[in-house]
Amino acid sequence: MDIVLKSIKKKFYEKEILKNINITIPSGKSSIILGKSGCGKSVLIKIIYQLIKQDGGNITYNSSNKVNINDFAMLFQYGALFDSLKVWENIAFQGINEKAMPTKDLKELAIEIMKSIGLNQDNHNKYPSELSGGMKKRAALGRALFKKPKVIFLDEPTTGLDPINSNLINELIVKTLKEREITAITITHDINSAIKTGDLFYYLEDGVIEHKGECKNIFDSNNKKLDYFLKGEL
Amino acid sequence: MFFFDLLGKFFINLVSSIGKVGYFIYLIFRYLFTPRFYFYSNLKYLLKTFITSVPIVALTAIFSGMVLALQSYTGFSRFSAEAAIPKIVVLTLTRELGPVLAGLMVAGRVGASIAAEIATMRVTEQIDALKTLDTNFYNYLVTPKIIALIISMPLLVTFADVIGVYGGYLISVYRLGFNETVYISNTIDFINFEDYFSGIVKSITFGFIIATMSCYNGLYTGKGAYGVGKATTNAVVSSSVLILIFNYILTELFF
Repeated sequence: MDIVLKSIKKKFYEKEILKNINITIPSGKSSIILGKSGCGKSVLIKIIYQLIKQDGGNITYNSSNKVNINDFAMLFQYGALFDSLKVWENIAFQGINEKAMPTKDLKELAIEIMKSIGLNQDNHNKYPSELSGGMKKRAALGRALFKKPKVIFLDEPTTGLDPINSNLINELIVKTLKEREITAITITHDINSAIKTGDLFYYLEDGVIEHKGECKNIFDSNNKKLDYFLKGEL
Repeated sequence: MFFFDLLGKFFINLVSSIGKVGYFIYLIFRYLFTPRFYFYSNLKYLLKTFITSVPIVALTAIFSGMVLALQSYTGFSRFSAEAAIPKIVVLTLTRELGPVLAGLMVAGRVGASIAAEIATMRVTEQIDALKTLDTNFYNYLVTPKIIALIISMPLLVTFADVIGVYGGYLISVYRLGFNETVYISNTIDFINFEDYFSGIVKSITFGFIIATMSCYNGLYTGKGAYGVGKATTNAVVSSSVLILIFNYILTELFF
């Protein structure tokens, strides 16, 4: 699904978060949105997902202004798993709500997804509070994949994980996107993760896209602002 | 100037909050009648609300009934009207103390828990996650709590009435030396359906107030642990204040 953003604007009270965003997210590619904390990355993906409305500009999804939200899924920064539900219930949440199939079948499907994302099936009856950070991310990814999305939004997928678990999550993302041919939109600060999982990047600063390019060439750019960001300089 | 600044901000916030709560109530009614109905969630919250509130409501009611009997005796014995004690106890409990005390207890016990739960879901992005899973927040989280409290409050108030009257009976018979049969017959003969009904109307109203204010404060929480704490406090305080205000309004209506 090609997603085209034209002149997207958003402000909260008097603060202009997004000033003029123009980007095209190509179908089947993994696009990374980079930027400092508080620059509006999360707001931008929530606007694309239609969780919040933009103040100006428009978005087209495969040239249409309308989109079925069930084509989208999101992996939240800290998983956002439902505390009161077991892991398998979290993964199969939408199916349970829609009574899509008998509970037994939904449970089996959730366990199958758990296996495919490397989450030990013995955990299916546990509650999210009993899982480690990496396991929570996997379970949240499982919940997103249960929807069989065409586009997946990944909000800081490696935040809060140690380097080993970050690597595992990155590998899992690459494998999943390839196998399922999903378009991905990721926001991250983690440059290693961006290079490993992304095809294209967009650098967001002061409410506009300062630079864009291919992730594999991210260090070859001549953009000063991006250069400072990559080096961690002010 | 500083004083007028504060006063202006206070009124702007007040009007804005009233508007937001009004819109929130409109959405509650809209989604109460929207097809997707979570039977399991409704039942779960109904049982949870009732079962977790029974002990605290019972304790409050029995001691209030006991104190009421003792204090009434102090007053009525001064003009030899002790016979009025069973009537005063049952009337005060069914019309006033039962609904108000149960309402305040449920606001503290259940309202705080609802506000904390929803506020935590808000700050941990679980509410956003619900939206991404095509699940309506009002249908899934708010209406089950509204229904649970509207149904469980009259049950709890009925329970509080019975326990409270029993507390008054215990003190009157075993401490003040009333005749057991006379006390019971005075209680039963004096109370009429309107007394009980006014208490039930109050309890339904209080149940709606507690659920609405708790869900509202949870949903509009600030960020982090401080925000969750503040939302919980606001839920209990606003519910309690509104219970007392609406208690007066309903008492005037049934006067």
